[in-house]
Amino acid sequence: MAYIINRVLSVLLTLFLISVITFAVTNILPGDVAMMIMGTQSNPEALAGLRESLGLNDPLIVQYGRWIGGLLTGDWGHSLVFREPIAPLIAQKVVASGVIVVMSMTIALLFAIPLGVWAAIHRDRWQDSTASTSALVGVSLPDFFWGIMLILLFARALGWFPSSGFVHPADDLLGAIRHAFLPSLALGLGLMAHLTRMTRSTMIGILQQEFIRVARAKGLAEREVVWSYGLRNAIGPVLTVAGLQVGYLFGSIIVVESLFNYTGMGWLTYQALLNRDIPLIQSSVFVIAAVVMLTNLLVDLLYVVIDPRIRLS
Amino acid sequence: MRGFMTGKGLLGGGIVITMLLVAILAPLFIPDTFATRMDMRARLSGPSLDHIFGTDQLGRDLFYRVVLGAQTSVMIAGAAVLMSVVIGLPLGIISGYYGGVIDNVLMRLVDTLLSFPALLLALTISAVLGPNLTNTIIAIGIAFTPFLARIIRGEALRVAQMPYVEAARAAGTTDLKMIIRHVLPNIMPAIIVQGTISLAFAILAEAGLSFLGLGTQPPDASWGLMIQASRDYLDVAPWTALVPGAAVAITVLGLNMFGDVLRDVLDPRTQT
Amino acid sequence: MHQTGTASTGRVLQNVHNSIVTVDQDLNVIPMLAESFEQSDDGLTYTFRLRPGVKFHNGSEMTSADVKYSFERCANPDTGAVNFEVFNAVESIDTPDPLTVVVTLNQINAPFLSRLAENGAGVIMPEGSGDVQGETPIGAGPFRFVRREFGNEVELERFDDYWDGPAYLERVIAREIPEPTVRLTGLRTGELHMINDIPADRIGEIEDAGELQVVKWFPLNWDFVNLNHTFEPFQDARVRRAFDMIIDKEVLLEGALWGQGAVTASPSYPTSASFNADLVQRPQDIEGARALLEEAGYPPGSLDIVFKATTNYPYHIESAQILVEWFRMAGVNLTIEQLTWADWLSQCWVDRDFQMTMMNFFTLWEPDFLYYSLFNTVGAFNYRSVSDPEIDALTEEARITVDPAERAEIYKAVQQRLFDEAHDIMLWFRNGSIGAQPSVGGLDTIVHPNGSNLNFHKVWLNA
Repeated sequence: MAYIINRVLSVLLTLFLISVITFAVTNILPGDVAMMIMGTQSNPEALAGLRESLGLNDPLIVQYGRWIGGLLTGDWGHSLVFREPIAPLIAQKVVASGVIVVMSMTIALLFAIPLGVWAAIHRDRWQDSTASTSALVGVSLPDFFWGIMLILLFARALGWFPSSGFVHPADDLLGAIRHAFLPSLALGLGLMAHLTRMTRSTMIGILQQEFIRVARAKGLAEREVVWSYGLRNAIGPVLTVAGLQVGYLFGSIIVVESLFNYTGMGWLTYQALLNRDIPLIQSSVFVIAAVVMLTNLLVDLLYVVIDPRIRLS
Repeated sequence: MRGFMTGKGLLGGGIVITMLLVAILAPLFIPDTFATRMDMRARLSGPSLDHIFGTDQLGRDLFYRVVLGAQTSVMIAGAAVLMSVVIGLPLGIISGYYGGVIDNVLMRLVDTLLSFPALLLALTISAVLGPNLTNTIIAIGIAFTPFLARIIRGEALRVAQMPYVEAARAAGTTDLKMIIRHVLPNIMPAIIVQGTISLAFAILAEAGLSFLGLGTQPPDASWGLMIQASRDYLDVAPWTALVPGAAVAITVLGLNMFGDVLRDVLDPRTQT
Repeated sequence: MHQTGTASTGRVLQNVHNSIVTVDQDLNVIPMLAESFEQSDDGLTYTFRLRPGVKFHNGSEMTSADVKYSFERCANPDTGAVNFEVFNAVESIDTPDPLTVVVTLNQINAPFLSRLAENGAGVIMPEGSGDVQGETPIGAGPFRFVRREFGNEVELERFDDYWDGPAYLERVIAREIPEPTVRLTGLRTGELHMINDIPADRIGEIEDAGELQVVKWFPLNWDFVNLNHTFEPFQDARVRRAFDMIIDKEVLLEGALWGQGAVTASPSYPTSASFNADLVQRPQDIEGARALLEEAGYPPGSLDIVFKATTNYPYHIESAQILVEWFRMAGVNLTIEQLTWADWLSQCWVDRDFQMTMMNFFTLWEPDFLYYSLFNTVGAFNYRSVSDPEIDALTEEARITVDPAERAEIYKAVQQRLFDEAHDIMLWFRNGSIGAQPSVGGLDTIVHPNGSNLNFHKVWLNA
């Protein structure tokens, strides 16, 4: 219990630090949103007026206080270029990215687990190196490279999946999956390598354990021993690693969502950054960092549940 | 050293050494204008005797671009990782070796920074500093620092708790001496392994930043920039993407394989 | 539309609004929301007779009060409208009856009427709607605004009470897809009915294949290389001319835009009366440029120049790379700095912090708008800090010259001066292009005579 309270307190502290860093960094970005709004029609007087009305002239500490106060009370302010309240905007984009995160993770695991198990069974033989090398190929190319290749293959040549856009799962579940498929695949290919490696090493460890030997001695078929006894025990650690990859994933979605015009958090953050929409950058970066941190926390806590030894230390 | 003599070790090591040689030697023998020389009559032409890897959208020879681009890509990745090690090393060692309040404060900060996806961090830093080669290195370097600091801290903590280190400390050896004599040599393998793997990620990060226009600036050749420039011509001139793509893939693959083998050999404890 | 973004979906959004007057194919000002207009003999009074029964999207009927409101709103720089200077000479706006508007100037402003036909200044919106225009534009155009997601989508639906008859299309959804490959793929797979700006290198191939419709028009916009006149070397006309001589515009056009355009020595709309057709670009002459630079005190290797180009226009990046090679041959070291649109606007446009850059403008067919804003010392678009007393005098003089022929001659002199002094380096007019599915009809009406607006009023979709 003390461990959990401790963790929760440190989470609050980290959230605070995240907010400070986010705020500080966004305030030293060059350029400003007044200019983006007015574009080539900018002129000094109009800019000054617009800046004043947007509250960009207040002292930083006031702006920070206003932002944090808003975050806590649910008033996240308005995006300056989208001209919409930020909270619902982000809520909607989180759903979009959630679809991609879940799908890419699923795709990665669907490949990584069989590949990793296969490599573990044939440890140090050609199958092992084939499996780990082919998994590495996925992570050896930038994900936008995969993205473009997938568009050319699956959208252009085969016409199986749409090349761009987002559909909300509540409106059309199948459409949502079809639109999210190519970006998810591009991201999944990058995730695969690490998960395959994790599955392999976990499985190698488990296959050497006593209960596996017992199961084999009982005369169970090797296939059953591996896939049911072995894998069942490997799933926990593998999912843990998958959870830790969420941070990596939230970095990658910036490029991939932009490429596919998939309007999720990555796209939103990049748009905000491009347009110097400071309030939106602050809130979306904060949300991404918070999601990553909370996912890591969740993984940690799950680990405590799975592996009681942690509690002792 | 037996571990290097596996197929994976030889292949990975071979790739890494070849790429390093290309990056270092190519600029000595090939004038850098070869990478930017244009031929408007031979735009997007396929591989031929004149241009063995074909040409890009401005009629530039892709062989020279990819070979001379090795220097840019390898240099950015190398300098960025070096930077993150140089910053992460003292942070990690101080944190792990002394523990206590310093450790708490530093690691809280590192954990916070780790919550920001590295690419997002690099992107933001690059946007703040403005795009050019040095700033690309700084952006990637800073973005990778928290991760390395975390690893180094774990290693330093492990070494500091070793019985003989504790004994030596009790006997009054100064901290600086302890760190140089015992801690550093013991954590070196882990740094080398993580550094190698980080190099692979740094090459990808450079490509990602260049894709978004915030990395290497044209007309300099870097692999990331070449892929970025090729994306409009992929279906009519696939070689424009495949050539730099293959260079990135082979190098990153080599680094990852080499990193795996290094881990087996130098740092069997963390073997995965 | 007094505040406009630069995103291309903005061009679709223009279908929400109508202007008081517009232009025909020959760039003559013709009626639109005003049924007729006349100018007094002294050139100081303009009387607009409004079209009766014009409905706004909110159901109200357009009256002279709305026109007065719209003009006054645009005239006020606080609303962020840059066109405010159109109304600088306006002394009063009177509304003697609901369908008559009388605008009185205190001095002659010859381009007044045609400036109202340009984008923005002449847009009529319902009285009091100024505050909501930014979020939910409302006007008297053929389509009403439904929703907009900045940087992604704009949705419009047909306005059934449009004064010129309802549009054929029930709904227009414009999506911003910055990646050309993705955009083209979307059209080819049928996800999209129509795309704006086919990648230049593909136009020929798509036309040959014949499966899609291609609409091309000339010109969409024009490009020029900018020299910052506060940067010491560029204060010397010899340096500017030398820089002009280094550039082979034909080759640059081929290299950056696959030849989709035509080079020009003047930015005037090529079919307009004031276009100076006598000007011919300086041919490339690297040796001559070297000599000229040497003469100006800049021997080879002495000039290190940063060229800022925005990634918003990928062909500017291509151009910059080609320029680097030529400038190297001329002994000038050019370094490219790629900027996002936000950074370009802030550094080059507002702070004027650059040495050399490149930009394009929509074809500002109205010569006062073009030459006064861009080249007069106090012009709103003079981000290069050009300050040439002769150009200042000419552009001022043109404003008070009523006779069209005389005005045209003045602008021709401006072009000559701009060319002689090489204040900027003129490059080319760029083609516009639209790709569409065979099912899209009425494409011949889609491009507004000004070359920049896209008009969906008479576009339809075959089943």
